[in-house]
Amino acid sequence: MKKFLAILLALTMVFALVACGTTETPAEEPTEAPAEEPAEEPAEEPAEEPAEEPAEEPAEEPAEEPSEEPSGAVDPETIEDNMTSEDGTYELAFVTDVGQLKDKSFNQGTWNGVKAYAAANGLSYKYYQPANGDQATDDDRYDAMKAAVDAGAKVVVCAGFLQETALKRAAIENPDTMFVFIDGYALSDEDGNVLTNVAPIAFKEEQSGYFAGYAAVMEGYTKLGFCGGGGGTNPACCRYGYGFVQGAEAAAAASGVEEVTINYSWQYGSSFSASPELQTMCNGWYENGTEVIFACGGSMFASIVAAAAENDCDVIGVDVDQSYESETVVTSALKGLSAATEWAIAKFYDGEWADIGGVSVSLGVNDDAVGLPTDTWSLENYTVEEYEALLASLKSGELTIDDTVLEADAVTGVELEHVVINYV
Amino acid sequence: MTFLIRQTLIYAVPLMIVALAGVFAERSGIINLALEGIMIFGAFVGVLFVRILQTAGWFDIAKEAENFLALQGYMLLTMLAAAAMGAVFSLLLSFAAVNLKADQTIGGTALNMLAPALVLFLIRILANQNTLQLLSGDAASWFMIKKTTLGFDKSADLGFFGETFLHKVYLSTYVCILVFVILSVLLYKTRFGLRLRSCGENPQAADSLGINVRRMRYAGVTISGALAGMGGFVYALTTANCSANGDVAGFGFLALAVMIFGNWKPLNVAGAALLFGLFKCIAASYSSIDINGDGVFLLANLGINVNFYRMLPYLITLIVLAFTSKNSRAPKAEGIPYDKSTR
Repeated sequence: MKKFLAILLALTMVFALVACGTTETPAEEPTEAPAEEPAEEPAEEPAEEPAEEPAEEPAEEPAEEPSEEPSGAVDPETIEDNMTSEDGTYELAFVTDVGQLKDKSFNQGTWNGVKAYAAANGLSYKYYQPANGDQATDDDRYDAMKAAVDAGAKVVVCAGFLQETALKRAAIENPDTMFVFIDGYALSDEDGNVLTNVAPIAFKEEQSGYFAGYAAVMEGYTKLGFCGGGGGTNPACCRYGYGFVQGAEAAAAASGVEEVTINYSWQYGSSFSASPELQTMCNGWYENGTEVIFACGGSMFASIVAAAAENDCDVIGVDVDQSYESETVVTSALKGLSAATEWAIAKFYDGEWADIGGVSVSLGVNDDAVGLPTDTWSLENYTVEEYEALLASLKSGELTIDDTVLEADAVTGVELEHVVINYV
Repeated sequence: MTFLIRQTLIYAVPLMIVALAGVFAERSGIINLALEGIMIFGAFVGVLFVRILQTAGWFDIAKEAENFLALQGYMLLTMLAAAAMGAVFSLLLSFAAVNLKADQTIGGTALNMLAPALVLFLIRILANQNTLQLLSGDAASWFMIKKTTLGFDKSADLGFFGETFLHKVYLSTYVCILVFVILSVLLYKTRFGLRLRSCGENPQAADSLGINVRRMRYAGVTISGALAGMGGFVYALTTANCSANGDVAGFGFLALAVMIFGNWKPLNVAGAALLFGLFKCIAASYSSIDINGDGVFLLANLGINVNFYRMLPYLITLIVLAFTSKNSRAPKAEGIPYDKSTR
């Protein structure tokens, strides 16, 4: 009996170890991502279903209204993540940012754009995750890009501004491969020549943040919170926060609210991950009257939502419509990742790459790349019509959003009369 | 104040129960370094179990029928499942340490390395991502006990006691405390407990009196594994929105520290866990702690650097250990494989 038990346990151990060993080669990934904390970078969050991405035709205009339903098109979520091409080459490649592919937000949104274009045009596609997860080095990222190029990629989509150094190297070495740099800026080589095979695409997050802040105060919230990721060094998150405060200020002025307080924090967000400490901090905020928190940073969302659910309070999501994730989400500040990715890839295949190669593009309301999700509208006192009027006034130039100090960890460029910011 | 107590309990309870897990193993003579690994495994099993129940639709049915007792029942069931699998997982350690007489430190470390890898591997297969989350809803919306679940009005005032211990709490907290008390009594007031402890002090003598040392050590480690597995799930439930990602933020190792700090005695361990939980809580939420309820946030107004508060839990541990470690007394035979011939 004892012997039997001993053998059984030994077998369990062996199997466990075998299982463990297999982790080394998870099926398809060429570059190993040792499964890390989902810590991604520019302000994004797990949203149950980035299905809202429009999947529109490669037209001149970038990014369609991000909140639109995928009108008749295939839901990118249903497209297989792994495909095998017959000749072993993959034309479209995607290199992930820190964090996992299926982060329900930044990476996933961008990846959906790649997949959607590939599926619609019958192209081969593949994703590459730089080794070492959120500890990935420039070399790891470069290796992933190199692997993509070696596998015959014509267009490599790289997500996240952290890829800059690796991307520069890869782009100089492979001038015939086109790179799309999401959340990025134009790159140039050592001699100062702009790299025309890199198409940088950024977003005007401050506009999206503005809508969120405006909507929140119009809805009747007077105690807001802002939890940003990246420790105040991530440009996209900073822009979101900067717009959010201005939106709240404008709404307070418009609706006659005397005072709006905002707890403004970059704490516990440097790696864009969830943590018990973050949850406790938000719990404390909610406990002391904060009604809604703008969860602006990757998987931090999970902790903030947990705190909100405990206190029956609300959350504003980011990047993609996160209302599918939790009942506590009242609205989300969107940016059209998937649509912009498709648009950029289409430029290449339509022979119009020169339009975007090496040209910094910042997509905003005029490109319908930022906004709030109108299909899942759950605000009661602030209506879709009012939002659309605001949108229109920003488009027409009637309304302007201050952008003097966009990328700082504190809001310093604007004068605030109604909003009191409490830096935590 | 209520907030502070509530949050402290949330941090302290997993620490306490896992530290008790350590006590059981070490009192029987086996060093259980694998607490962290078992917690990770327990958290994974618990979340997976909840997901399975959710997939089967049990949760939605209970929610629709507003049968909140059923939801609490599912939670208890999940805790049991996590405990059972934690116990099974810990058998690997007992097998290596008791049957093979292997070095217990190395065995425990091996499990600590095995658990996250195995869990992440399984999560990748199951969910094609690195975090296993609930299928729908949030931990609090399913499992948390609030005024409204107890039938009170949202604005009702339950008094200090009620507000602190009946509102926004998890049943798991009280179950853990109950288990803690029962097992402490078991360890000190029963024949079994005495025998277990004797195996950690002088197994040769125990053996000479007819106590089966192997069996006692197996029992100690298995109880330890069950507690750690349960603690892992409670951690995931209360502080990670019921998700598993192969990480419990070092709570297993913290629990080891708490155990040593508590001098391998349940009561001291509980005290140590509370102290540690309190400072962890202060570190994370100092800016919104209002001690006497007058709307003044004293700690935030002191103007002390944030990083000081974040250091506090560790600073306090260092200081307290420096003063108390002289009296600390580990079980004498812990870490030594039992060898009959040395009697």
